[in-house]
Amino acid sequence: MNVLREHAEQQFQEELHELEKQDTGSKPTNWKLSPASVVKYLMGSKLSNGFEITPKYIGQQRLMEIAVATLTTDRALLLYGIPGTAKSWVSEHLAAAITGDSTLLIQGTAGTSEESIRYGWNYARLLAEGPSAAAMVSTPVMNAMQNGKIVRIEELTRISADVQDTLITVLSEKTMPVPELNMEVQAVKGFNVIATANNRDKGVNELSSALKRRFNTVILPVPATTEEEVRIVQTRVQSNLKALELPASAPTVHDIQRIVRIFRELRNGVTEDGRTKIKSPSSTVSTAEAISVVNNGLALAAHFGNGKLNAHDLASGLIGAIVKDPVQDTVVWNEYLENIVKTREEWKDIYRACKELN
Amino acid sequence: MAIHILGIRHHGVGSAKNVRERLSEIEPDLILVEGPPEIDNMLATIGQANLVPPAAIMCYNSENPRESVFYPFAEYSPEWVAAQYANKHRIPVKAIDLPVTISFAKKREGNESTPPEPITNKDPLSYLAEISGFNSGEDWWEYHFEQQKSNTSEHFEAVMHVMESLRAEEIKSSLDQENIHREAYMRTLIRQYQNEIFTNIAVICGAWHAPALTKLDETAKPDAKLIKELPKSRIKVTSTWIPWTNSRLSMLSGYGAGIYSPGWYEHQWKVKDNVEISWLTKIANTLRQKQIDISTAHVIEAFVLSRSLSAIRNKYYVSLEELDEAALSVMCMGDGIWLEFVKKELTIGNKLGKVPDEIPKVPLQEDFEQQLKTLRLKLTAGEKQYDLDLRKEIDLNRSILFFRLEIMEIPWAKRTVSRTKGTFKESWVTEWSPDMMIELIDKAFLGNTIESASHNLVVNKCIQAKSIAEASGLIQTCIPAELFESIDTVLEKIVELSTISSDIIDLMVALPGLIDVSRYGNVRKSDLSILNTIVKQLLVKVYVGLNNACYGLDEENSTNMFGLVANLNNAIRLYNNSDYQQQWHETLHGMIDNSGIHPIVLGCICRLLLDAQQMDEYEVDTRISFALSASNDPYQVASWLEGFLKGNGMILIYDNRLWNLIYSWVDSLPGNTFMELLPLLRRTFAKFEYGERRQIGEKAKRGLANDYTPVDRDAAHNFDPERAAKILPIIKELAGF
Repeated sequence: MNVLREHAEQQFQEELHELEKQDTGSKPTNWKLSPASVVKYLMGSKLSNGFEITPKYIGQQRLMEIAVATLTTDRALLLYGIPGTAKSWVSEHLAAAITGDSTLLIQGTAGTSEESIRYGWNYARLLAEGPSAAAMVSTPVMNAMQNGKIVRIEELTRISADVQDTLITVLSEKTMPVPELNMEVQAVKGFNVIATANNRDKGVNELSSALKRRFNTVILPVPATTEEEVRIVQTRVQSNLKALELPASAPTVHDIQRIVRIFRELRNGVTEDGRTKIKSPSSTVSTAEAISVVNNGLALAAHFGNGKLNAHDLASGLIGAIVKDPVQDTVVWNEYLENIVKTREEWKDIYRACKELN
Repeated sequence: MAIHILGIRHHGVGSAKNVRERLSEIEPDLILVEGPPEIDNMLATIGQANLVPPAAIMCYNSENPRESVFYPFAEYSPEWVAAQYANKHRIPVKAIDLPVTISFAKKREGNESTPPEPITNKDPLSYLAEISGFNSGEDWWEYHFEQQKSNTSEHFEAVMHVMESLRAEEIKSSLDQENIHREAYMRTLIRQYQNEIFTNIAVICGAWHAPALTKLDETAKPDAKLIKELPKSRIKVTSTWIPWTNSRLSMLSGYGAGIYSPGWYEHQWKVKDNVEISWLTKIANTLRQKQIDISTAHVIEAFVLSRSLSAIRNKYYVSLEELDEAALSVMCMGDGIWLEFVKKELTIGNKLGKVPDEIPKVPLQEDFEQQLKTLRLKLTAGEKQYDLDLRKEIDLNRSILFFRLEIMEIPWAKRTVSRTKGTFKESWVTEWSPDMMIELIDKAFLGNTIESASHNLVVNKCIQAKSIAEASGLIQTCIPAELFESIDTVLEKIVELSTISSDIIDLMVALPGLIDVSRYGNVRKSDLSILNTIVKQLLVKVYVGLNNACYGLDEENSTNMFGLVANLNNAIRLYNNSDYQQQWHETLHGMIDNSGIHPIVLGCICRLLLDAQQMDEYEVDTRISFALSASNDPYQVASWLEGFLKGNGMILIYDNRLWNLIYSWVDSLPGNTFMELLPLLRRTFAKFEYGERRQIGEKAKRGLANDYTPVDRDAAHNFDPERAAKILPIIKELAGF
């Protein structure tokens, strides 16, 4: 396989397969796994035959249970949270585990039109043959309805409000009327929608209350503890290392802890011991960014260094992730560097590396 | 001869239901419950119409009510249900646990640090929970014994069996030592009752104890020995009912089985069918009251989700956890804030119990209720306003009571602004919440009357007071509360503090209050002449130290100091002792040339001396011009002006020389500097009265002032005595003459 990034159902094919074999619970129609097994797939566990399922989501199991339980009902699921809290990640894995297909995806943008949600027309055919089923261009939503699968809508709130509302009929009546052909597409059992939206952005389109009512909302929080966040970064970096075939050795826990600590402190506006107040930068400094900083550092180490992650490799990514606004964030970062990083004895290397780049 | 041991969980709804059913099956002639024998009398009152749960039995040391323990009951407490059954069927109900008096004695011996906590099944049960994959022992118990609807006799057999095997494993618990004695005592009492006429006895006890109470015959001898080990106690224990709240049901005392969701338990107890759906409807209604639109569809969806959730978790029933999570996701858009609100309103609930009047009460509570009666005050849940005329005796006494309660931190009555003038008028708004009664009872250890309790509270605070300001604050609260004995104590403390205190700022904070109080002379019984001496001593201290205290302060501290100096100046003016006034002015004079003092304080001093006519015109002129010199840093000048002008701009209107100086100074500022200073200056000028500001503005329009004052001239020119006289009656009426 030569693709840059495999879909979840391909990357974790073996795990899904094993889970399916072991699964004794009852499965809702068109589901590949029982709900309890889906939760197992997300949270990780050890199967009775000793097979290890890696955790996909590190955090509260409760949230995943609510998410899966929602999909067993006829309500759609809305994953809500600040950027980088694994919303899309969770939605991809949910779709992969439940239907074995995470590819039915609509990326919400300001330009997403009704045609890309409901259906469009192949105009050449339309003109030649007149309206017919063959001239219709279906969308992921329609495909999912026809095959009883799960369609994912990313960044739902970026779609303009009137286009969002086309989902109401789909979600409540589970049907999509096609008045041009005097027919309708009725959803097959197993169909559902997972939408994600972030609550940090400005200028987004709030969901209308009619649409809101059709979603169960799960807010994905930022990791509660340092340990949790370190675990997330570690797991993701290791899997990336494999996927990108980087000839670098895995970063030490120590390095990850440092990065996570910097991110957490800047995000929370206070040092971990709670003694010093820090300004927070304008960017979100999420866990996802911490992951990319480490990845970036690993790439640098692999191609321009000795294959071992050092402070210099981390520094450039670090500054890039934190300083998003060249004026304000530079001040925040420099203050943090001088007041916090400099005073930490074992952080001398990272201080020097950042200083050089400044 | 039959003894039925019913092992339960305290406050367990399922347990209560089973107990109720089982009792009607076995029809006992005596019911024994876990609890100290001191509460027997109280148990006998359960079932009376005017005793409404949640209520708690408080057992306290008669001499020191602070030494107390509470046994809270809810409607669904198995013990409550059992007692209710007993009283309805006119059979005796008795408590058989270790007497409170012995527990108190044990505590004094130091063997024990906690009051008896009957609930122990939590720890051992967690082993079973771990094995079968539950989060906690509570969950395990809930799953197996609270939710299962089975034959009740089998149910209690099963409980017994589980506990027996757990005890056989000899799992160590921190309560073991205590339990040995408690169980021995329970067995002994059961044997006693057995020897009386009773033949069919039901024992309701915490599940953990159940197996221990079965072997009665073979344990008689060792039990006697164990009981001998217990300390002899002469502590006299009194019991009474007090109203309890739902939120207090989770408190750890007596049956400290922390229940975190009393509202939910009550719902389960009361509602027979569709418990979950009606609970979600309640949540929906609570949210609707908060103007959150929740439709019936939301309730349906939440119920569906909660069921799927419990299916994923392999539960055969929907528990509060799932309902909460479903409500969070479906109704609250994932937002925890609303759910918190629901939890407070509904899951915990703000229910309050009632207790019959004829039940003996804590002396302090009795005194309080007695006073309410004599003063004709009512405890109302809504707001009620009292406009008191202190010349009437009843109103004066009401005011005294309000002030005393204020000292006791029972916020029933709050002072509000009086609509009428006159020092003899006071307005209070009262709003009773039942928590206040519990707070009152909590303070019972302080004294048997409101007066002595508030006195003791003042004395306690006084002992802890570290600064004169704190102590003088206490004096000020004591006077309207007429706590004259306390005043003496506080005065002693002030004398003691003043001899060692050298903190000028503390003194300056305290002095205005003290001077205020000293002006009362010797109000009624207390002799305040000693206060006069103290005030004088303290003033001298301030005079000596003020110059140094002001030296080198930064801006924030100087602004603070500026306020203190101004307040103290007012107080000294009221003090009306020319010697001390003279010394005060000399002190200020001595500071005015100290360049280490922040300009805001200097400006203030200058103004104070000017107002007190302690500087001649020439000197004032020089000072102002010096302060406004061009070479001074503009910021400093602005601060100086703030100190000089703060609160009163009249001087700018009538004093043209000063006006011209300031006008030229502003004029001389370069544009940039002026822009920078604007906020500072605005801070000063914005505090003036509207009329003053308008006049200053008009004056500024005319530029530098000549020696006459145009305002005056206009007024004199236009004055019409006849028209002016017409307004006088109305002014009189407005002023209330």
